[in-house]
Amino acid sequence: MRAFAKSKGMTLLLVTVIVFVSFWSANPNYVSWDNLRGIMYSMSLTGTITCGMACLMMSGAIDLASGAEGMMGGVIIAYLLRGGLAWPVALIIALLCGCCFGLINAFFSNVLNFMPFIATIAMSSVYQGIAGAVTTNRPIMITNQAFWALGNANIWIFPLPFVIMIALLLIYGALISSTKFGRQMLYCGGNRMAARLAGLNCKKITTIMFVNNGAIAVLGGSVLASRMHNGSMSAVIGAEMDGMTAAIIGGVSFLGGGSSGMAALFIGILMLNCFKNGLLIIKLDAYWQIVANGGLLIIALIVDFIREKRRLAALLRSALR
Amino acid sequence: MANYLEFKGIGKSYPGVQALRDVSFRVDEGKIVALLGENGAGKSTLLKILSGDTAPDEGVIIINGQEQSFASPYQAIVEGISVIYQERQLVPSMNVIENIHSGDLPANGLGFLKREETRKNAKEIIDKFGLPIDPYELVGRLSVAYQQMVEIMKAYRRNSRIIAFDEPTAPLTDAEIAILFRLIRQLKDEGKLILYVSHRLAEIFRITDEIVVLKDGRMVKTMQTVQTNEAELIQAMVGRDIGDTYSRLSRNDKFGDVLLEVNNLTTDVVSDVSFRLHKGEIIGFAGLVGAGRTEVVRAIFGADPVRSGEIRLDGERVSFKTPRGAIERGVALCPEDRKEQGLVLFRNITDNICLPVLGKLKKRLFLDKKKSEDLAEDAVKRYSIRTPTLDKLVVELSGGNQQKIILGRWTSKLIDTRILILDEPTKGIDVGTKAEVYQMVCDFAKAGIGVIFISSELTEVINIADTIIVMHNGHITGVVKREEATEENVLALAMLD
Repeated sequence: MRAFAKSKGMTLLLVTVIVFVSFWSANPNYVSWDNLRGIMYSMSLTGTITCGMACLMMSGAIDLASGAEGMMGGVIIAYLLRGGLAWPVALIIALLCGCCFGLINAFFSNVLNFMPFIATIAMSSVYQGIAGAVTTNRPIMITNQAFWALGNANIWIFPLPFVIMIALLLIYGALISSTKFGRQMLYCGGNRMAARLAGLNCKKITTIMFVNNGAIAVLGGSVLASRMHNGSMSAVIGAEMDGMTAAIIGGVSFLGGGSSGMAALFIGILMLNCFKNGLLIIKLDAYWQIVANGGLLIIALIVDFIREKRRLAALLRSALR
Repeated sequence: MANYLEFKGIGKSYPGVQALRDVSFRVDEGKIVALLGENGAGKSTLLKILSGDTAPDEGVIIINGQEQSFASPYQAIVEGISVIYQERQLVPSMNVIENIHSGDLPANGLGFLKREETRKNAKEIIDKFGLPIDPYELVGRLSVAYQQMVEIMKAYRRNSRIIAFDEPTAPLTDAEIAILFRLIRQLKDEGKLILYVSHRLAEIFRITDEIVVLKDGRMVKTMQTVQTNEAELIQAMVGRDIGDTYSRLSRNDKFGDVLLEVNNLTTDVVSDVSFRLHKGEIIGFAGLVGAGRTEVVRAIFGADPVRSGEIRLDGERVSFKTPRGAIERGVALCPEDRKEQGLVLFRNITDNICLPVLGKLKKRLFLDKKKSEDLAEDAVKRYSIRTPTLDKLVVELSGGNQQKIILGRWTSKLIDTRILILDEPTKGIDVGTKAEVYQMVCDFAKAGIGVIFISSELTEVINIADTIIVMHNGHITGVVKREEATEENVLALAMLD
């Protein structure tokens, strides 16, 4: 907690409060319970994706296909359920597919040594194309009512997806701050050469994080499919941008290695969704919403850049010496 | 039994270069052994072999009687070898405790960290070395010196038997060097085997017990530090007496017309600077760091704004707004920081040499590859740049060869450089190459180029330059001819208040 107060977490909280209050004053409906639940729902998708994305970024990689992987998850599970599988089995198979998506990314970045950026963008395009061809651009309906619960049930007054996201945040928070593996992950992201010399297998670590990210993305996509009662090739697409924005706002460095803890990450997710929902609530034109979202990512990157500039300069100097 | 490390008949060659040849020596417990040699003598290669980064072609490393061969740097670490490189092997965004444990944090069976134990471990080590470091501070916020201390503590925590230092004092101040030496002695007293790589002679006399001298990959000599002196070491390193270097230079004594005339030049940093540079003349700028020497040439070159005063080139008044304008008029600047401002490190030799004359290497729309390579080939030959091929990335070459590439770039056949400005051209270059650079500078003068030579090494300036301009605090405090210059009178002017 002390560390949180010292970190950028406090500033972030303040900004979130300001965002919240300004939208509230623009439209009192912003704080209606219905709308708050709406925010929680949108947070749950962003937040789930962010958990995978943030860990991947901390270990020094990135996956710009996360959204497409999530979409594939939704479509796959919809087909599996239509084929008559029990939903837990279908979910497990979908998650395994997610692991495979991660493995493909890991293969490109760790075996062929591509930049994760480029390989994953290509894969995103591949997945979207496959999904479009297979579904012929129609949503695949899900009629398995037991599965609907995943996205629509409530735990007390909170939507289940939101609770799942909180649980994930807590689990990954503990992983990063309190386990050896989590610290090793940061070590790899922070200085790959040093990590290698310390005997860490960074390729293995990023492979695990790629696989983890794929599975998490599919989980997010499955929850959304359950909520929507269908798997659609247009769902989840672009969620990786939100995940990345939330992670960067939440103090994860774009250059790897940095983390301000899961509380900051939560606030990042909260802020992003309060912002996006607020734009809806004040009825901003849909196209301008897209512009505003892009603007937010740019601002987050600029802040991250300034924060990292010193570190980058220091790294550069030591590399050149 | 006392610990020892032995190199036996180590040989290593890279394509075109025999980096090491039959190197054998021993490091004993309680002795700090210096590895001394010019750049390119094979020190780094030997360290790479020791750290498991590369395998020797011949020979073995023996630790306490046991032959060792390392498949990876990690295996070398496991065998108790730590090399403290100039590039920090630290994670700036993590704290001191975590860096000391270098990813190997104590954890319970479930993988959860034992925080208290970790903190106590780290604190114990920090206290042992008596360092005022907060264990929770992020390493990125520590000074360079303390980062190095963290690196040493990291090696200590791993229980390394052998700790090798690669030019550890390069970025440190004198006070920090004192702390570092205290640490090194403490390590020695604990029975660690210490290999100290440096080319700073003064330090070697302060800290080491034995000296191994390498030259061109061969072992020249091993000696007891107390039984030798600087002159002997230099001679061993260079293979000749450096005292003759200056007197052996073949200099230019025929100056031509005035090439550059600077009158009352004033910028934000320097004021009222006036001097004249003739064709074939070498003007040296002496002074302490921060005296404004670099700022003068930057202003002439168009890199910094001029407040007042005039600059005349061939009698014609000029004011360059950007370096490009200066380059077009035949003014070339070789900056002090050659790696950051002079070279494109991750391009090859050809690209670096052709950089300013790409326009002349065009064959219609495209670059004439053959012509570019000829140009580079010519420079490599003329300045005996040591490299297996022209395709070698500049970053892989030694400092001396990098400097030669910059000089070659500005004096290639296709470029008409009339004024060559050299800012600390011999910084970080070994003694042998320095002599070559001096002769190159004299040759430029003979060819009629006017040279401005900035250096912080007094001996160098007063021996190379025909005229020495001494600066202090942004002003010129004196102009001395070479015949009258002594280290004493130039230094007195440089420190004038």
